[in-house]
Amino acid sequence: MATAATSRRLPASERLRRSLGNGRVSAILILLPPALILFTLFVILPLGESGYYSFFNWNGYGAPSDFVGLENYERIAGHSIFHKAVGNTVKIVAVSLLIQMPLALALALLIFRKTPTNAVFRLIFFVPYILAEVAAGLIWSFVFDGNYGITASVAQSLGMDSLFILADRDWAFVAVMTVIVWKYFGFHMMIYIAALQSVPEDLIESGRIEGAKRLQIVRYVQIPHIKPAIIVSAFFAIIGALQVFDVIIPLTNGGPSNQTHTIVTYLYTFGLTRLNIGFGSAVGVILFVAAITVAVFYQRFFMKGDKA
Amino acid sequence: MAEVRLNNITKKFGAVTVIPDMSLTVPDGSFTVLVGPSGCGKSTLLRIISGLEMPSDGEVMIGGEDVTFAEPSDRGISMVFQSYALYPHMTVAQNIDFGLRLAKTPAAEREARVAEAARILALEDYLDRKPGQLSGGQRQRVAIGRSIVRQPKVFLFDEPLSNLDAALRGQMRVELAQLHQSLDATMIYVTHDQVEAMTLADQIVVMNRGRIEQVGAPMDLYDRPMTEFVAGFIGSPKMNLLPGAAIGRGDVKTVGIRPEHLRADPETGDWPATAKVVETLGADTVVYADAETLGEITVRLPGKMRLSAGERLFLSPEPGNLHLFDEDGHRMEQTA
Repeated sequence: MATAATSRRLPASERLRRSLGNGRVSAILILLPPALILFTLFVILPLGESGYYSFFNWNGYGAPSDFVGLENYERIAGHSIFHKAVGNTVKIVAVSLLIQMPLALALALLIFRKTPTNAVFRLIFFVPYILAEVAAGLIWSFVFDGNYGITASVAQSLGMDSLFILADRDWAFVAVMTVIVWKYFGFHMMIYIAALQSVPEDLIESGRIEGAKRLQIVRYVQIPHIKPAIIVSAFFAIIGALQVFDVIIPLTNGGPSNQTHTIVTYLYTFGLTRLNIGFGSAVGVILFVAAITVAVFYQRFFMKGDKA
Repeated sequence: MAEVRLNNITKKFGAVTVIPDMSLTVPDGSFTVLVGPSGCGKSTLLRIISGLEMPSDGEVMIGGEDVTFAEPSDRGISMVFQSYALYPHMTVAQNIDFGLRLAKTPAAEREARVAEAARILALEDYLDRKPGQLSGGQRQRVAIGRSIVRQPKVFLFDEPLSNLDAALRGQMRVELAQLHQSLDATMIYVTHDQVEAMTLADQIVVMNRGRIEQVGAPMDLYDRPMTEFVAGFIGSPKMNLLPGAAIGRGDVKTVGIRPEHLRADPETGDWPATAKVVETLGADTVVYADAETLGEITVRLPGKMRLSAGERLFLSPEPGNLHLFDEDGHRMEQTA
């Protein structure tokens, strides 16, 4: 209180001089502008421009002049393929949370201890994440190829007709989600491994003495201890799911019959490739608002930090 | 309550033998302290008793039952860890209650046992707090409470006081001694602090390099150390271990004399010395002196005796309080 009262009495020039003197303001003045400029140039401005373009019927050439108000948003709202894309995106979020993360956690629990064998398995499981998305998509498009792929060989060896999974309206998106789980589970597994390695061995041993079996130690000791890592991993999973794009393009390109679009591939297909930049911008704005909303709510409800 | 018997226990980690063939009996209801320097195998031995570590050979008997290959939870033991090993996401009550919940003990009985443990350990006001909100001493009490509620046959303590400050350590020592008296349980306690060993134990096991140097009551070890190692390890300040030849005992390798068994006189005595450091402790004064013919020597004098660094003094051993050790470091019967 006394300090606050003193600082209120000090003239502004003196307060500035003292702030400069302790280095804090100088550090802010030196370190903040580069980040602020880059953030403004590459995030704020494009976002603002997208918002602006979304009110125009514009093909990207010349200055936008055909102002259409909210028509782009109305078209999106009434477009069944957009509904499908949103549904698919939600499915990816669900699969990420309900299949990918538990799978990553289960594998992390199996191989988190530092042994040479576990190091090999960690590397094997992490390789898909290192692969470029487009490469991963291409590899799996070969796997799922109904004429020459592994699935074709398996089907033939079982005496079945060839399966063209990526051309099947019902199964194509299942294949896409399989590839997404395969591609990204290693990332979450690594987060869990790092967290599990920080659980003190005493806690686990204490649990054994108390009578906890292996799964009870996982449930009562290890998972609660790595809860912050799980929350962060879920955040990455959700935000990542909202942005899925480059695995799908080489795999299905949104097909068959636009059944495997996500919001981003929808934006790309119906906005960019068809030169409907205004329309695509409106999709981008919707995606941005969705991502921000999820991020803010998630931060507010799950990432407050456990003070206890 | 139960007797713990270790028969020919051997423990190897790869090619390294940490415990070579050890046998030990911990009597029913005793407070046995395993003491020794870091790396002597005392914690490994405790972990073998607990079942967290399997012996390479030998057998572990608790209450007459062979538990060598039994799970830790099936041995009727509980363990208090150096780090307390409390679950940070659980409250004090949940921490204490954890083992009972796993054992599917009826809720009413669980509540009663937790309340009783909290009463014994003065934790009633902290049951809803999490470990992060407690002091070191309180956390240690919670860890002990978690042991008590399971009503084990044997309590194991792995250096439980080493994370506490000196004052709290002293207080907790007293509380542990009282707890042993009130529970009348078999307790096995590991420490490298010989003061803890002396004050808590009714049986001390001094270990060195994986072997037992001596087992006995604290004062037996203090009065009649059977090896040079025990002589140097038990007692604070440490026993002076002097070369036999230097004090005219060519027939023995080492002569041990405790600091309190030396008399100091400013004018006359057997060994002239110069005080180098003087520690005034109140009741005692500990003098670290340089005796010309013997090298460094420690003397404990009554607190009222005033001395300053640099002062000359003459030291004389009290007759009948010399400890003689042979070439192998074993005790020789005193003939002086």
